[in-house]
Amino acid sequence: MRLPFNELRWLKRAALDSNRSLESLIQRRLNHEPLQYIIGTQPFGALDNLRVRPPVLIPRPETENWVIRLAEYLCSSSPSRNISLLDLGTGSGCIPLLLCHLCPKVIATGVDISPHAVRLANENAELCGIPHSRFKAFLGDFVHPGFPKTEAINPPYDILTSNPPYITPDEYLQLSDDVAKFEDPTALIGGYDGLEFYRVITSLVARPGFLSHKAMVALEVGHSQADAVCDMLNPTGFRISVWTDPWGKKRTVIAQRQ
Amino acid sequence: MASPEDVHRLRQLKESELLQEAWDHWTSTLKALENIKPLLSDPDPAMMSLAAEEAVELDQKLSTILKHTFPSLLVPPSTTANLSALVELKSGVGGTESSLFLETLLRMYMRFSQSHSWKASVVANNDNEGGGIKDAIVEIKGLGAYDTLRWESGVHRVQRVPATESGGRVHTSTVTVIVLPLIEEQDAQKEALYSMDDIRLEVMRARGAGGQHVNKTESAVRITHIPTGITVSMQDERSQHQNKRRAFQVLSARLMDRKITREIAERRATKNSLIKSADRSEKIRTYNYAQERVTDHRIGLSIMNLSSVIEGNALQDFTDALKQDFEETTMEDMLESEA
Repeated sequence: MRLPFNELRWLKRAALDSNRSLESLIQRRLNHEPLQYIIGTQPFGALDNLRVRPPVLIPRPETENWVIRLAEYLCSSSPSRNISLLDLGTGSGCIPLLLCHLCPKVIATGVDISPHAVRLANENAELCGIPHSRFKAFLGDFVHPGFPKTEAINPPYDILTSNPPYITPDEYLQLSDDVAKFEDPTALIGGYDGLEFYRVITSLVARPGFLSHKAMVALEVGHSQADAVCDMLNPTGFRISVWTDPWGKKRTVIAQRQ
Repeated sequence: MASPEDVHRLRQLKESELLQEAWDHWTSTLKALENIKPLLSDPDPAMMSLAAEEAVELDQKLSTILKHTFPSLLVPPSTTANLSALVELKSGVGGTESSLFLETLLRMYMRFSQSHSWKASVVANNDNEGGGIKDAIVEIKGLGAYDTLRWESGVHRVQRVPATESGGRVHTSTVTVIVLPLIEEQDAQKEALYSMDDIRLEVMRARGAGGQHVNKTESAVRITHIPTGITVSMQDERSQHQNKRRAFQVLSARLMDRKITREIAERRATKNSLIKSADRSEKIRTYNYAQERVTDHRIGLSIMNLSSVIEGNALQDFTDALKQDFEETTMEDMLESEA
């Protein structure tokens, strides 16, 4: 493995900032540990130092891109009242925290099945200066049938966001060590066909009273899943559109109540 | 109660304060000289010589006001006085030796900034494999940074025996410096330097599926301003958003630079005068290590203490001299157009 110039530079700075030996950091990187875990942060939009920690999923540039776009959309509609948002599988909290940071009207809740993720998301809220009154992450399993009735869930929500696990088991076995060896498989594998979580989310979208009358849904999907997810959401009667990421992949399925 | 017109008048008044001060100084000195004149023919020789001495002194004062104070007031106030600077350094001829010298110049500007209490940070840099830095961009934030540094633009030449040269032969290498006016994001929008419709944004080609499937650390972006063909690539930051922001910052600085250059050209065209234009391919300065000498070719100024220049201190002598030269040229220019 050959370390790119930029990575070496970032590691040098990290070694200097944290008083660790550069050699040990380089060794970790050569063992395929993700750069973001070694440094301990990953900038995400205007959030310059979002904390990342194994095994919680590292925010991806594709996600950063659509969340910024969603924030622009939410801000441009200049709502007079608060917008309530639910993020399913919140991980580091990157999606709701950036939206809270960019849109002052957003009040968000994050759910994750991993206690590591919940702890990290709450830490990140504090680091980003988002108060408890605007963001809280809690432990929960949104696949569980009783989930909508959980105490921490307060429907109806105006915005539903999610970057659920969407990798198929076959694909998972092909992933590079950077991802497979260090990130939580629970945050990556989306059931037998990679679409399992979209079925669950579709049933939540269709559930009466779960989303408000002008609700909007934004779901990140794998590079070849947009059409399948659109088909799933079609019966809900929401208006469906797809956002393409900067690399030309259909990345985000958007559904809006008509 | 202050109205907008009051604010305008207040500003006018404030701006004319310097003129008033200079005029008051002139008239009071002149009056003192008038008062002393009768004493020059005083019958008392002691009194007469005292008066003569004072008259010489007052005369000198008057001529200083006439020769320096008044002309300096004619130079129009800088419209760029508030701007910070973006300094681009690019290695030229000389290979690794040029990259090593670039590193030295970079340090010089960092130290110079520090002594002015400007905030300097390297926003992009490409290391050279053989040592030194291939190219770099430094953001220098602070009042007057651009006005002070703008004459650093041009080709800087180094003459020395490279550390890698075993034969002891003197090499000549160059580094190109470009100083751009840096404006804040919100001001860039006010200036309307570009429209988003004229921007083409490209990302580094991703391999494979993207998203959760891969963990990319490279998030290079390239923006192109279609009407001017200016392209900016940025890859030093760790997120695409940050790289994009940096790229737009550099684009704004380049467009602002063009705007200022265009405005100066237009002013000159209307005055129909001939002033040497700042040509960035022009060799402006030579750093000769063997002679411990730095020479600025535009004003013919040599400083015989190279170390002090590259340590950042004596650079001030160059920037001061260049500023004075600029003011004098501006005045000559004005006089010529009057004539």
